[in-house]
Amino acid sequence: MLQNLKSKALSVMVGALLIGTAQAATADELSDRINAGEPIRLGFATAIPWAYPGDNGEPLGFVNAIALVVLEEMGITNYETSVNEWAGLIPGLQANRYDIITGGMYILKSRCENMNFSDPIGLFGDAMLVPAGNPKGIHNYQDVISTGAKLVTGAGFNTVEAAKKEGVPEDQMMLVAGEVEILAAMNAGRADVAVQTFFGAKEHVDKSNGKFEVTNPADMPEWTKNWVGIGMRHSDTDFLAAFNEAMAKVVGGEAWMANTAEYGYTEFQLPGEDASTEFACANR
Amino acid sequence: MNYWEFLIQYLPKMASGAVMTVSVMICALLLAVTISIIFGLMRITNSKPIQGVAFVYIEFFRGTSLLVQLYWIYYVLPLMGLTLSPFMSGVIALGLNFGAYGAEVVRGGIQAVPKAQWEAALALNFSSKQRIRRIIIPQTFTIILPPAANLTVELLKATALVALITVVDLMFVAKQLNATTWLSAQVFGTALLVYYAMARFALIPFLRWLEVLAARKVGKS
Amino acid sequence: MEWRWEFAIEILPRMLWATGNTLLAAGAGYAIAMVVGLILMFGQQTPYRVVNIVVRELVEFVRSTPLLVQLFFVFFVAPQFGVTLSAWTSAMLTIGLHFGTYLSEVYRGALEGVPKSQWEACRALNFSTVYTYRRVILPQAFPIALPGMGNYLVGIFKDTPLLATIGVAELMHTANALGAETYRYLEPYTMVGAIFLIISLPTALGLRRLEAAVARHQGKLNH
Repeated sequence: MLQNLKSKALSVMVGALLIGTAQAATADELSDRINAGEPIRLGFATAIPWAYPGDNGEPLGFVNAIALVVLEEMGITNYETSVNEWAGLIPGLQANRYDIITGGMYILKSRCENMNFSDPIGLFGDAMLVPAGNPKGIHNYQDVISTGAKLVTGAGFNTVEAAKKEGVPEDQMMLVAGEVEILAAMNAGRADVAVQTFFGAKEHVDKSNGKFEVTNPADMPEWTKNWVGIGMRHSDTDFLAAFNEAMAKVVGGEAWMANTAEYGYTEFQLPGEDASTEFACANR
Repeated sequence: MNYWEFLIQYLPKMASGAVMTVSVMICALLLAVTISIIFGLMRITNSKPIQGVAFVYIEFFRGTSLLVQLYWIYYVLPLMGLTLSPFMSGVIALGLNFGAYGAEVVRGGIQAVPKAQWEAALALNFSSKQRIRRIIIPQTFTIILPPAANLTVELLKATALVALITVVDLMFVAKQLNATTWLSAQVFGTALLVYYAMARFALIPFLRWLEVLAARKVGKS
Repeated sequence: MEWRWEFAIEILPRMLWATGNTLLAAGAGYAIAMVVGLILMFGQQTPYRVVNIVVRELVEFVRSTPLLVQLFFVFFVAPQFGVTLSAWTSAMLTIGLHFGTYLSEVYRGALEGVPKSQWEACRALNFSTVYTYRRVILPQAFPIALPGMGNYLVGIFKDTPLLATIGVAELMHTANALGAETYRYLEPYTMVGAIFLIISLPTALGLRRLEAAVARHQGKLNH
């Protein structure tokens, strides 16, 4: 009888041990690396004011600022940066060249199939950049189609998908590498109109000294308004959970608003109570 | 700001990019030279299969674009489980590509040594090793150095492509400075001048000196 | 990651259309380069020493600096000086100038390869300059120049992917766009490589045959 009990207890103990170590073994690779003291690697492109490198490669821009606030809440202060072309951000993440995408990616269904997003960090909209005075009267994609205008945007931007959905013909689209090339194309008159995020367009207006103006983001289709999240690999689920947990504590808080203020992020961009990544993944 | 102020503020940053450019070039050069010698020799062995392998390698890497090879190594290899750092991806792509061109130069060089030299060495009872080392290789050197010098300058220029896979070299720094300052003429103009200075006033004189050295050695021996 | 044939076939039409653009860019660029090469070569042989030196330095400068940096220079700087060119035009001009400098060196080498005695004989026979070039010098210079010109034709074709960086919708640019849209990079990038191989290998082979035929026609021994 005692023998029976002993062997039962033993098997329970062995079972518990196995389950315990198995769980430790399946904590994701990113969490393991962070716990081992390695720096977390931020991946972003050059998109002012979202995310861009400083003179020494420091992560600037409000998405980086938000990510750093959340990471600090998690106790992570050791980080590195990797500056990429926008279109290379997702393949780079999958290739393990960096750990989180802080470029300021809209949560789209097509992207959710290839990566995970954190809970939303804000709600944003797109707008169009046109020459001052808007000579062709373009306010949204339908205007682009009807005027036959040349539309420039960045490869891999959410606006490429949106333009296609709205029916902009391929020969009216011009794809360049990113924000800088968009402004260069507009400056050189190679395109009649650019479509990008509202923040990006405002930045270009500032840089252009009145040569261009931004259209009203409310003129864009309603479904192009979207949430932005921090991108992670599908496999880093534990880290994602911890990140979301930390974000819930700091969202809209003092550090969050203070560090993003200089880039133009205001309380109007806050994600709000009902913002959800699952909703965006399913409906955008 | 005028150009002088521009240089004072930004030249240090561009110089550090130039250092990375030189690092990439030297590493790629070492790889390319090694591959050139190995595959050049493979092309002239008597074994048909070995010749075939070298032929395929050379034609493949000469027949495809360097940028395509670079992107493939950087974007596609990780999908197959091999993720190389941007630096390594750049060095390997450049090394493999220029190694193929170099192999043809080496092959041409060895074949250009007059047959009479091989026969004379044989007649004078040189061992095979001595023949290669004392007679053939020094003469090969003088023949291949001019085209090899051209390839080296091409390699220096080709390093600019690694900026497209996020290596922080001179080209990358120039793009970043352009993105933040929009002083495009100064930024890219200076980058061009730095590349020019590196090629014309450092690399080419060094290669010329090598040619003179090789010529002198052949004259002596 | 496995190769998906349905996807490869799906994107093939778009890639083939882009290939047409690539060939057009290479062809147009090379045509410009051939003309620019002539101008640059003669620009180094004018009676005015200053002009010769300036052109020589220009050729050295363009030859010794990366095409990529030159492309960015023209793309970003020209508009800032009021010169607005389409991406296509700035690409053609830059690549035409760049390869024009290479070709000018090929032409120069070819002309120098024609024995001096030929020039002297033409003078002795009182041939006009045009006649000298047309019937005596150029026919002899051409076979010497051909290998170099052929190499740079293939070279310009393989450098067209650089044009993607300034938005020219050629093959590499299309592969990048497809990868960004579909998140599949294996098929687009591999197909780009394959298409380049399929075009450049026969071209290189054909050029070698052409060189041999021209050399034979000239009565020179095949080397």
